[in-house]
Amino acid sequence: MEKRLIKKDALNGIISKLSGEMPVYAPVKDEDNVLFKVLEEGMEPLVAYSNTRNAPKNFFFPQTETMMRYMRTEREIKLSGEDGEAREAILFGVRPCDARSFILLDKVFDQEKYKDPYYIDKREKTIIVSLACVQPPYSTCFCTSVGGHPMSEEGADVLLTDMGDNYLAEFITPKGEKLLERMGDLPAADGSADEKKKELSESAEKEIKSHIPGKEIKPWLDDNFEHPFWDTIHQSCLACGTCTYLCPTCHCFDISDEVKGSDGKRIRTWDSCMYWLFTQETSGHNPRPSQKQRWRQRLMHKFKYFVDNFDEIACVGCGRCVRYCPVNIDIRKIVTDISKL
Amino acid sequence: MQKNPYMPMPVDVVKIVTEVTTKDIKTFRLAFVNKEDEENFKYLPGQFAELSILGKGESPIGIASSPTQEGYIEFTVQKAGVVTSALHNLEEGTRMGVRGPLGNSWPIDYLEGKNIVIVGGGFAFTTLRSMINYMLHEDNRSRFGNITVVYGAREPGLLIYKDELAGWEKRDDIDMYVTVDKGDETWTGREGFVPTVCKEVGPASENAVTIICGPPIMIRFTLPVFFELGFSKENIYTSLEMRMKCGIGKCGRCNVGEKYVCKDGPVFSLAELDQLTPEY
Ligand SMILES: Cc1cc2nc3c(=O)[nH]c(=O)nc-3n(C[C@H](O)[C@H](O)[C@H](O)COP(=O)(O)OP(=O)(O)OC[C@H]3O[C@@H](n4cnc5c(N)ncnc54)[C@H](O)[C@@H]3O)c2cc1C
Ligand code: SF4
Ligand code: SF4
Ligand code: FES
Repeated sequence: MEKRLIKKDALNGIISKLSGEMPVYAPVKDEDNVLFKVLEEGMEPLVAYSNTRNAPKNFFFPQTETMMRYMRTEREIKLSGEDGEAREAILFGVRPCDARSFILLDKVFDQEKYKDPYYIDKREKTIIVSLACVQPPYSTCFCTSVGGHPMSEEGADVLLTDMGDNYLAEFITPKGEKLLERMGDLPAADGSADEKKKELSESAEKEIKSHIPGKEIKPWLDDNFEHPFWDTIHQSCLACGTCTYLCPTCHCFDISDEVKGSDGKRIRTWDSCMYWLFTQETSGHNPRPSQKQRWRQRLMHKFKYFVDNFDEIACVGCGRCVRYCPVNIDIRKIVTDISKL
Repeated sequence: MQKNPYMPMPVDVVKIVTEVTTKDIKTFRLAFVNKEDEENFKYLPGQFAELSILGKGESPIGIASSPTQEGYIEFTVQKAGVVTSALHNLEEGTRMGVRGPLGNSWPIDYLEGKNIVIVGGGFAFTTLRSMINYMLHEDNRSRFGNITVVYGAREPGLLIYKDELAGWEKRDDIDMYVTVDKGDETWTGREGFVPTVCKEVGPASENAVTIICGPPIMIRFTLPVFFELGFSKENIYTSLEMRMKCGIGKCGRCNVGEKYVCKDGPVFSLAELDQLTPEY
């Protein structure tokens, strides 16, 4: 693996040079929020930000996406095809938890039998530059309990670690190494950088103060689909869907048709298991008729079903759902409570 | 790169049959516009497809024809909501879309060499019809033992595939028991509920498998009959329905526990269902 050092004051120059060659999406300030936006001339990416409110999953799996377009004439309907292919791009400044979410989403969208061409096209063409959390930003971060780490390189093509005067840049994948060629001459990092990173990594891990027994509750979930505990978590839930929309690993979507005059398109939009319509059938039957069942589905999907299918928990511990739930439902508490049953 | 699994293939509606007196169930015969699509559409009885009407949407529908019937595929559809109503308004000659085949199938390999009992109720007889036609084909008949069919509807006008039923009744390599809950003036056949008829017929459970589709209430009352006859849960198969969109295990809506009905099903044995969460 190539390891280089980037002088702190040189980073913006490098990024700005790259953004002349291909779109670079990076965290920038947008009123009170930090959002990923394409860098335009004169814009500088934030590097000392905590994390974005929205997960970066929308780069590969947009909230609304056109799947195909068609034309309706009087006698027939003609497919006019798909939108163009994605362009090569850089997603800069992704936090390790969010970078790891792409590995989990890959398991859903990039399966051997059925591949999702919309997701895969963008995913393959995007280079992910992660920014290690030398200082984990929130008290609600719990990545280490669900298989992640504040300095993890999982899901990153390039990982940047703030070492004080320099960034340590690790070029992890072939995609990352190709980016190195475009970054100009950078001095190689030596063993002392590794040493320093190890220290930072240990202190970052200690800074994660929130812990949940994520793996430990799996046997209980296996056996307790029917349990009075499930009556205790959903009462205050508004079924607003915020938790699922902000979650970097939630991947459910709806497909619908939109017609305007003779032009039509089939689109997909994010959907949520927290909505009753999600499973409502035409006959009137609904297998998950109450919020109790829907909350059980959300938890079970993340901590049991996904584990059954892919041997990973479908939560990267970013804490977004905890911070933004309007009624303060806390998935960490639910998991912890289950572990005490 | 593989073909885009969300892209419907163009088909022409070549024949429409209204199956029932209430007129809300029709069978659509569809022919592929492109030879290549037809060749790629390799299916087995029990699978389904997404019928696609651009401008309206898609509906998952079981494939009612058998792969032994070449040159077309058939679907029997009840008028229910937006897409199925649009389908019902189509005329022969219209062009529409199909996406599939999707899902698993009746467990053909497992069924080989066994006696097969088929139990159907109402219009949920579609993929069972596919299975029957598949087994009765001259290339396949010797691969299966005795075939017993119990099929019922509320009244004679609601039985689907009537011509075909009559044809099967005449054959001596399949035992047909067609029944209605209540007959009318013209009905000369059997009267009685499906569970009762199954009990009267009493198929032996040895080396036999039952596959059953129908309204939940019919299934509920029929299963005890088969347990009593000695059928184990491993040897009773059924097909599940859940609301679907993608049909390929991505949109996350049709799961029963860790299984996606669209991808891992829709066919499950009762033994498999026992392992899943009872949420369907
Ligand atoms: C594996 C499978 C096989 C089926 N086979 C048949 C069949 O052979 N014949 C038949 O008439 N019906 C069948 N159905 C049911 C049929 O799919 C629904 O009646 C149909 O989707 C209703 O769509 P709609 O647009 O008319 O109704 P709307 O209420 O307008 O539907 C809105 C959307 O909800 C979804 N939806 C609603 N109900 C269901 C449901 N029960 N199952 C799946 N998706 C649903 C569809 O995506 C539909 O586009 C089958 C369902 C499944 C899952
Ligand atoms: S479940 Fe909550 S904490 Fe876990 S990844 Fe999703 S939003 Fe983040
Ligand atoms: S964010 Fe909170 S209130 Fe909204 S659906 Fe999720 S748990 Fe319920
Ligand atoms: S229909 Fe989308 S996951 Fe089954």
